[in-house]
Amino acid sequence: MRPPQPLRPSALRGQVPYLLMLAPLVMFVLVTVVVPVALFLFRAIDNRELQAGFPQTAAALSGWSQAQGLPPEPAFAALIFDLAKAQEEGRAAALAARLNQAVPGSRSTVIKTAKWAATADLQGASLREDVLDQGKAWHNPALWSVIAHETGRFTSYYILTTLDLKRGPEGQLQRLPAEEALFLTILARTLAISLSVTAICALLALPVAHVITAARPRMATLLLAMVLLPLWTSLLVRTVAWIILLQGEGPVNATLQWLGAVTEPLRLVYTRGSLIVTMVQVLLPLMILPVLAVLKRIPPEQMRAARSLGAPWWMAWRRVQLPLLWPGLMTGAGLTFTFALGYYITPRLIGGEKDQMLSSFIVFYTDKTLNWGLAAALSLQLLVILALVAGLLAGLHRLTTGRVR
Amino acid sequence: MLTARWLHKFALLSAANLGSAAYAEGAITLAGWGGTWNEAYKTGITDPFTEKTGISVVLDEWDGSLARVRAMVEAGAVSYDLVSIEAPQLEMGCDEGLFLPLPASVTAQAPHYLPGTLHDCGIASDTWATVLVYDGTKLTNGPKSWADFWDVKAFPGKRGLGGQALYTLENALLADGVAPSDIYTVLATPEGVDRAFAKLDEIKPHVVWWSSSSTALQNLDAGEVVMTDMYNGRVTFDNENNGKDYRIVWEAGFLYGTDLWALVADAPNPEGAAAFLEFFAVPENQAGFPRLYGYGTGDARVYDHLTEAQRSRLPTSPDVIGYGASYNDAFWAENLESLEQRFKVWQSQ
Repeated sequence: MRPPQPLRPSALRGQVPYLLMLAPLVMFVLVTVVVPVALFLFRAIDNRELQAGFPQTAAALSGWSQAQGLPPEPAFAALIFDLAKAQEEGRAAALAARLNQAVPGSRSTVIKTAKWAATADLQGASLREDVLDQGKAWHNPALWSVIAHETGRFTSYYILTTLDLKRGPEGQLQRLPAEEALFLTILARTLAISLSVTAICALLALPVAHVITAARPRMATLLLAMVLLPLWTSLLVRTVAWIILLQGEGPVNATLQWLGAVTEPLRLVYTRGSLIVTMVQVLLPLMILPVLAVLKRIPPEQMRAARSLGAPWWMAWRRVQLPLLWPGLMTGAGLTFTFALGYYITPRLIGGEKDQMLSSFIVFYTDKTLNWGLAAALSLQLLVILALVAGLLAGLHRLTTGRVR
Repeated sequence: MLTARWLHKFALLSAANLGSAAYAEGAITLAGWGGTWNEAYKTGITDPFTEKTGISVVLDEWDGSLARVRAMVEAGAVSYDLVSIEAPQLEMGCDEGLFLPLPASVTAQAPHYLPGTLHDCGIASDTWATVLVYDGTKLTNGPKSWADFWDVKAFPGKRGLGGQALYTLENALLADGVAPSDIYTVLATPEGVDRAFAKLDEIKPHVVWWSSSSTALQNLDAGEVVMTDMYNGRVTFDNENNGKDYRIVWEAGFLYGTDLWALVADAPNPEGAAAFLEFFAVPENQAGFPRLYGYGTGDARVYDHLTEAQRSRLPTSPDVIGYGASYNDAFWAENLESLEQRFKVWQSQ
């Protein structure tokens, strides 16, 4: 097995028709996936709003630090100037929303101040007092600190938040306090659920694939249809069916009680267990199909040869068949893990409060609070994990195929 | 001939498929909450409107996502004239300029409107409440208050609560003896938030959190929970159409929420939309919806046009409004993110 050679120019010439045939696909993917996703993900580091929002105030705040308390008078005058400009250009609401993300509770004060700044008659008044009268948010040095420090074209705020970190008053990295630290827990949980689902699918897929390969054609078709059936049913129907099966007065509990195995109904639904069972059922075909495809191409003589040379079944399977199955298993694992990682509806419906995965938070920030920066940073996190997993699988693939050779 | 007719049909079909593309000259497009809500709105409000003004209405279904409105406005491709949107989202959208101010003739009606139901950028399309509910077939002597909801000795069993800070923190304070009208004075202070979470600590092991109204009622029906909080309209619907005997405990106290019709910036037919808003602002016309559906309206005069049976289902009717207060949308527009985050951390502990 020689690694594929890069195309030389002469070889490339022969490929032109193929490249042309590929062009629509490439264009389609670029226009519908790559560009919009890249634009959205860019929001994870985009700081244009704040950069454009407070140029004068940020300049007036240079040399000031949060430890000194409220900033000096010129900063207040600059703030009024910047906010009045933002109000006239229709940027004030977005600015207020952005500041509210960093310092919750400041939104309405900022909006009110901007409206006031655009119309106020400022002759001879004490600007400092006027601004402080607009709302208690301006009494908080932390708010001024955001304006002073977030002056660049890009920000690390969103990505740090998804790692439960923030910048301290002097710009140093700090852990979020325990009652705010959320995202690392969610990330670990999302990974744990996806990995267990993938592992269980792999364990279940191996025997099923073996049985289907060994069965008579008619039986094999029937079994395959049973494997595929969940793929043809709506996700919602399957999930709700599991809720009904597993609930307190559902058939599973009724059977257990009738058998005398339990006296009180077990709490089966809205648990990590019910979530994993449902996800495994939904995702199992994605594991079985690639494993099956590979298994069918492995000549049965190889196992027989190993056995006839004296290897016990287990050793023959592990040393001869499993290495050949690796590519199928890894394709299956890649597919299953990728799908599991993005699960949203199923955990919401059948998981408990400790089983909600990353996607549900992406939806929350996209839809409910319009914090697209944080949503983008969380999406970026998912994308990075997928890239790492893809890299890992590719590495494993090279390693295992290397061993077979 | 045949081809022409087929083409016409096809054009109609594709217009219907595009959904929001107005297929009649001068039509307006409204985005409602879909399903039975849309059906009642069509019969009760938009059909009479078309009859009166000749302006046809496309009543679309949407998910209430402000993100969608923002994307439409940013892309310069607005397909809705009016959307029914939840009040906190309306508040944010209005500040961002995604929604336009209402016509003066509509805002002039303000004195007749309940708190929170008439906004610079929106007029209540419907009001609903999150109420305490139990199953009358399972509990003969049901809970009377939110304190009872918290009392796991007197009422053993699990309780259902929505798995989010919004509504749940309010319920906790109601259980802690705060009057509905004082909720946000308490919640506006850090101590008040701590108080709500401390109250939730008491009941945490006994809660089944729900994320969709269907599963919440399914849990109640199956005995998974003995009582739950729920949107009143869903409860009434199941009682009237599925033969259930769910009891709403209005006197326990409740908070009502408002969905509002908002005029989208760069709407394709602003004149038609304004005509609709003016029609809708007449109490007699507005009564068309609550007559058919368990959701109320913001205008106190509307209730004069309803029968007692129709009124009894509505959270904002004069009969029960004394037990309730409005959700504070400005509060949630500012604190939704931070409180929801703290709530999720609390849930994970």
